[in-house]
Amino acid sequence: MPLTSLCRGMWRAAVRSMRTSDIRGTPGCRHSSSLDGASVGMADADTIFALSSGHGRCGVAVVRVSGPASPTALSCMAGFRRGLMPPPRTAVLRSITDPHSNEVLDRGLVLWFPGPHSFSGEDSVEFHIHGGPAVITSVLQALGSVPGVRPAEAGEFTRRAFQAGKLDLTEVEGLGDLIHAETEAQRRQALRQMSGDLGRLYQAWSHRMKRCLAHVEAFIDFSEDELIDDGILTEVDRTVAQLQAEMEQHLKDERRGERLRTGVQVVIAGATNAGKSSLLNTLCQRPAAIVSPIPGTTRDVVDTALDIGGFPVLLSDTAGLRDSSDLVEREGIRRAVERLEQADLTLMVVDCSHIPADVQPAASFLREHLHKLMPSDQLPEEDRCLLVLNKTDLIADSQREKLAVGLQSVPGLPPFCLISCQTHQGLTDFLTALHSRVKTLCGNPLSGSPTLTQARHRTHLQRSVAALAQYQRYRDADLALAAEGVRLALTCLGRITGRVGAEEILDIIFKDFCIGK
Amino acid sequence: MLRKKVPRLLQVFKRTSHCDRQQYDVIVVGGGHAGTEAAAAAARVGARTLLVTQKIQTIGALSCNPSLGGIGKGHLVKEVDALDGVCGRAGDWAGIHFSILNRRKGPAVWGPRAQLDRQLYREFIQSDLLSTPRLTVWEGSVEELMVEEPNPEKPGRHQVTGIRLGTPISARSVVLTTGTFLSGSLFVGQTSSPGGRIGDAPSSAGLSHTIRERLGLRTGRLRTGTPPRVVKNSVDVSLAKLHPADLNPTPFSFINTQTRCKPEEQLPCYLTFTTPAVERVVRENLHLNCHIQQDTKGPRYCPSIESRVLRFPGRQHQVWLEPEGLTSDLLYPQGLSTTMPPDVQLRLLREIPALHKAEIHTPGYGVQYDFVCPTQLSPALQVKSTQGLFLAGQINGTTGYEEAAAQGLVAGLNAARSALAMPTVMLSRTESYIGVLIDDLVSRGVTEPYRMFTSRAEFRASLRPDNADLRLTLKGFEELGCVSSERYKEAVRVRDTLQDAMAALQSLSALPHIWKQKLPNIEISENKSGELTCMNLLLYNDVTIEMLASVFPESLSPYMEFSQRLKIEAVYRPHCDLQKREMARIQREETMLLPEDLDYFSLPVSLSQEVREILDRVRPTTLGAATRLEGMTPAATVNLLNYVRFSNRKNKIHNMCLRT
Repeated sequence: MPLTSLCRGMWRAAVRSMRTSDIRGTPGCRHSSSLDGASVGMADADTIFALSSGHGRCGVAVVRVSGPASPTALSCMAGFRRGLMPPPRTAVLRSITDPHSNEVLDRGLVLWFPGPHSFSGEDSVEFHIHGGPAVITSVLQALGSVPGVRPAEAGEFTRRAFQAGKLDLTEVEGLGDLIHAETEAQRRQALRQMSGDLGRLYQAWSHRMKRCLAHVEAFIDFSEDELIDDGILTEVDRTVAQLQAEMEQHLKDERRGERLRTGVQVVIAGATNAGKSSLLNTLCQRPAAIVSPIPGTTRDVVDTALDIGGFPVLLSDTAGLRDSSDLVEREGIRRAVERLEQADLTLMVVDCSHIPADVQPAASFLREHLHKLMPSDQLPEEDRCLLVLNKTDLIADSQREKLAVGLQSVPGLPPFCLISCQTHQGLTDFLTALHSRVKTLCGNPLSGSPTLTQARHRTHLQRSVAALAQYQRYRDADLALAAEGVRLALTCLGRITGRVGAEEILDIIFKDFCIGK
Repeated sequence: MLRKKVPRLLQVFKRTSHCDRQQYDVIVVGGGHAGTEAAAAAARVGARTLLVTQKIQTIGALSCNPSLGGIGKGHLVKEVDALDGVCGRAGDWAGIHFSILNRRKGPAVWGPRAQLDRQLYREFIQSDLLSTPRLTVWEGSVEELMVEEPNPEKPGRHQVTGIRLGTPISARSVVLTTGTFLSGSLFVGQTSSPGGRIGDAPSSAGLSHTIRERLGLRTGRLRTGTPPRVVKNSVDVSLAKLHPADLNPTPFSFINTQTRCKPEEQLPCYLTFTTPAVERVVRENLHLNCHIQQDTKGPRYCPSIESRVLRFPGRQHQVWLEPEGLTSDLLYPQGLSTTMPPDVQLRLLREIPALHKAEIHTPGYGVQYDFVCPTQLSPALQVKSTQGLFLAGQINGTTGYEEAAAQGLVAGLNAARSALAMPTVMLSRTESYIGVLIDDLVSRGVTEPYRMFTSRAEFRASLRPDNADLRLTLKGFEELGCVSSERYKEAVRVRDTLQDAMAALQSLSALPHIWKQKLPNIEISENKSGELTCMNLLLYNDVTIEMLASVFPESLSPYMEFSQRLKIEAVYRPHCDLQKREMARIQREETMLLPEDLDYFSLPVSLSQEVREILDRVRPTTLGAATRLEGMTPAATVNLLNYVRFSNRKNKIHNMCLRT
């Protein structure tokens, strides 16, 4: 089996299993209790995991797990039976599976380090897996679903190692700096995200939660002596319910994370015979779609999974867009339009031998062409579209140069590439452009560690939503426990947006209420 | 266990007054809530203790409101009591109106509270101190502290060796609980006079001088205030809303099963409201009020009526009319704290319908006073730079009787331990509100008078009023040495009985349909598979221990004494279990001590200049406190942690080398 398809298979399996593990209420890991109490050292500590190898694309990635539930994670993800662990500190080749769906995520080496003979001094496990972001993400996601296991905070491994007395001063100096760098990078990354829509969204949630907590706390601490309207609790009820709904929705269709897991949807569109299927075949380096000079050859959507620079891409070839009386072709066109609506990125293919020679008429032609193919309300935004001017082998080199230079300064046109699927001229530039688009759409995992960050964010968000449910559950029976739920939710969200201290809550209370007794 | 006592203070005073050159283990300066707890705790630990106060009569005086406890504050009273303190028992003796606040909001935030008879409270405190062995009380005004060069074997720049009270009196530890008397000024209208409480002489300037100039401690200034006292007969309570006490008074103290006041003898409170005219009077007379015009920090809670109407205009504000005692002919208008000139106070009061004919007995007034920035203290409430000096109460920037009492207990306990050459101790914020209070004070400092709220405690589900004895009494006896063996034995019995009961509840079970038969009124889902234990059942809101005892009479009847506590334990246990991990982490970090004399600027570890400055300013005592500082990074924590471990190991090796 060629390596690419093997990887593709792995990636798909990962996608499937992740989908399964997203379903709420899946039964817990079957092996979860197999090794209870077998931990060494800090028996009550959480079990943590993190990607320990460098970020970005690499041949092998190492995921480290440390804490009492490490053996559980190993047994349920690497298929070791109850209590039968591999020999300590010996690499063993295993299939690594999702503990819920049992889908194979990857095949790699696993190592078992019973405490105290491990880096952290605790029971530890290492997974050596393939280094693609999709595989790493899937393994981290799967680990996050093992009961009692959570993503590590910055410096937590090292902290545990110190507490177990595993490191000496020189090692600490180096590691301290390393953690500092790591935290700095994370902080910068968090800042980057915080300045975006996502950050604004989380901050807004955090702010609303803070107010909810402040109002519940005000009601608890002061309503007996002060004029605090019972209505504030009704208000809190409403906000909590809204927050829950919004966060659940967000977890469901958090597009960036989703894209990384399911692949970026790239759709090839254009007039008939522009060379769409040729482009598909060129990109996947095999004749996946039938190519012929006859217009309307492609009638259904042809999907292919691709790896573009480490990012999963789902590439779809569609029927050429034209008015057709052929029933089958019309259905194909309907499907093409439908797919275009869902596309993360559209590759609009144009036969450049049809383009007028001069720049201005060429620009008008392209604009008109785009409008003709798609109603203006369906035209993808500029950054979601790449204009592929195909068949440069049919025009003169001078003409190609003229278009390449001239069209660049034309406003209102999507970015474009001149290529020939026949001669592969311009293909490298096109791939670079495509890669950078896909990278942006996936949230740029190569800088910082989005896989880790996303897994972490997801876990914290999920815990936050679950904690809000505690508010609902105890609202009438025990307001202290209900408030505990909001506090917990805020703490979880605070791990993304920043810590919220008791003083901040009191500030809101004293701003909103007159406390006189 | 309520004891009737006859005050015999004067005799004691005479017996001790003629002794001049005296040597004590601990001297406590001040006889308020902090001072009395400090003196009592020091004596309980076994220290020869002297309490010095300006007037013996005012020991145990309630300078402000005639009440004890409340939400958050009630937790503190229960905890002080669990450590064998005085105020809980005094509250049970002097209470004339008991109620549990927040009754409908969950046991973790119940607020036991009582209106007190001022005279009875004072009498109880005075007679209790009198009957405390090893404790002597002396009347006088402390002129200054005796300060000497430090003991070079311990950290610190100075050493306090006693006080000067005409003649020097030496002690190994001194606890200052001077309340609002440190450079205190009283304000009414546009006049101000030196003093800490109306009717009492100001304290000597020497003490302030020693603290600021000689010891070089950073101080700040805070303000507080108290409302006018109103003649009861002049109040038309029919125009206010009656607020009766609980039918069954709940005592504060774990060793009391009842209060002195009989349920039917309790006095009610009344609730009334301000009118727009009150706001008008305040606004028209602002220029006559110099207290409110100054920018000294007052509390955001418990503000004067002036700040209330200015900050929240156009609203009604609550005014509680509280009894001052069984025989007192005064009422205390809670919520009307003011520093207006007396004639304006009267006009203001009479704008409230129920007070339209009110007569003022004593006008309200404001106090401004110095406090010592509490980040200069260790969690044992010892001044870090000064050997032998402990501070407690308002001098540390707090407000409230309960906050003062809690600190007094810890300061007295540690003053005694230090004097008797035992290591000082701290209470963790994971085990008590007292720990939260002190950790907040010493690691964050204060910007306004600090008051306890339940929202300050992150482990609120675990730190409940009902279980303060389990949290603290056992430790108080076994580790701290401030709890009597009788109280300890009782706490052990309670703990063992509760454990047995919980085990029984866990082991008794039945199938859902059986439960349904036995308890037809409870909505038990019959779809549940397997048996349900009594513990499972208790998670239902309406299920009580009494109901379960009707099903399993033989097994459960021995535990009915604790039915309420068991119900609470059962409901909270899952939440407490969840908190245990985080608590364990904090506790681990709190046991890692940072040397007091650490020079953070030259520390050979990788720390940013910013972090070094923070650490140097606050000088956290433990790694736990350091991690909670704002601006600390994970990397800095790790480096610090390793430094502590490494230097400990090095010291051990060093010591071993010395020995051989």
